[in-house]
Amino acid sequence: MIRFSLLLALLVFLASIVQRYIPPIIWLKESAILLAPALLFYGCLTLPFPAVLGLTFFTGLTNDLLTVPFAQESNYSIGTSIVLLLIPALIMHGFSSTFLRGRWGTNLLLAELAAVLTPFLLLGQYAIISFERRAFFYNDVIMWRILGPGVIAIVISPCVFLVLAYLSDLLRYEPQLDRPRQG
Amino acid sequence: MRGTSIAALITFVVLVVFVLILPSGCKQQWQAAFLNTVSPIFHATSALTQGIGGVSGGFKKLDELEKENRELRTENAELRTSNSLLKNLQSEVNRLNRALGYRERSPFNLLPAHVISRENAAWWNSCTIDRGSADGVAIDMAVVTEAGLVGKIVNVSKNAAIVLLVSDEGLKVSVSIEGTQEQGIISGTRASSNYVPDLRIGFISKTADVKPGMKVFTSGTGGVFPSGVLVGTVKGFAIKELEGVATVEPAVDLTRVEDVFVITGTR
Repeated sequence: MIRFSLLLALLVFLASIVQRYIPPIIWLKESAILLAPALLFYGCLTLPFPAVLGLTFFTGLTNDLLTVPFAQESNYSIGTSIVLLLIPALIMHGFSSTFLRGRWGTNLLLAELAAVLTPFLLLGQYAIISFERRAFFYNDVIMWRILGPGVIAIVISPCVFLVLAYLSDLLRYEPQLDRPRQG
Repeated sequence: MRGTSIAALITFVVLVVFVLILPSGCKQQWQAAFLNTVSPIFHATSALTQGIGGVSGGFKKLDELEKENRELRTENAELRTSNSLLKNLQSEVNRLNRALGYRERSPFNLLPAHVISRENAAWWNSCTIDRGSADGVAIDMAVVTEAGLVGKIVNVSKNAAIVLLVSDEGLKVSVSIEGTQEQGIISGTRASSNYVPDLRIGFISKTADVKPGMKVFTSGTGGVFPSGVLVGTVKGFAIKELEGVATVEPAVDLTRVEDVFVITGTR
């Protein structure tokens, strides 16, 4: 479990860097391709609860340190993404038993659920920035900036899940359900 | 919930609260330290990207050579190819001459730097350059090219620095409009396209005679940006309820800029 958690953390770190060099999709109003959320959500489905929290913390902090140009007068604090990512991470972790018992069809649906939850971080960031800057406006560019990565993740997430399932087998990691204590 | 889960949850909450309540300066230092750690990766990736460009350029040349071999039967085609190559070389020489000339003419001390990573985030426009505190770069220094203003330094590590671009909504620059007495604050817009970003000048008088094509320069108010640096060209002017608002096209192509100068002082 520890080896697989560390591998996921390493992959999240590398994905966060690689994302910077992937140009946005022009015909989707410059939507970004995000790989790190799919990695995190796979971890949420297969890792035990403490590791999910650890991975969420690492992903959120890495994201903020790499993407937010933090200045003294910044209105988005480093660490906020950890809180924002915790919500979809816990939703995904709630489906871990379904994922671990499920067949490929169920797992594909959960990969698509991961895609649906991908824009959550961007939506949260947009809401916080709008609130802090006291300027809440909305147009189709903003809509695509938020939803576009989710649309792209519909294709990417199943592929990421497939690769991670293979790596999990390679490391002989067998995910187990969090069982309630026997009374 | 098991004991380990409860302990993990408590640790998680404590850590998150700790990170969130850290003072700004401390967070800035964290980011600088992190940048210091990842900057070798940025340097390597940037070199690799250029290398890939070079390799693909090599393939292109081979391709062209093969094509040229076929076309060598006609002298006309050979001349066309040579001419095109010369034009490319000339434009490269011109570009370097412009940069060199600008550096020599400029009244500022300019430190040349190269963009090693471009931020792809939805709500922030920034890039990372290959110069840091070891080269004398410090927070709040202005970054320019021979074409105009690029942004300002917001965080510095030993060998790299983060530049907040002028197209970012969070960067406010005091500017004046050429041919008028008008001054205002220019900033990027959140919903603008990264590829054709629009800047916006607020707080202009409603009666101002601002027309498309007028140049916008930094006014020097505030002390961060020196006065007289070109920011962009006015695209349009609209009168709102309380103020006039001008949209401005940036002077620098912020999506393609590769070589920049950090203003480290005046001569």
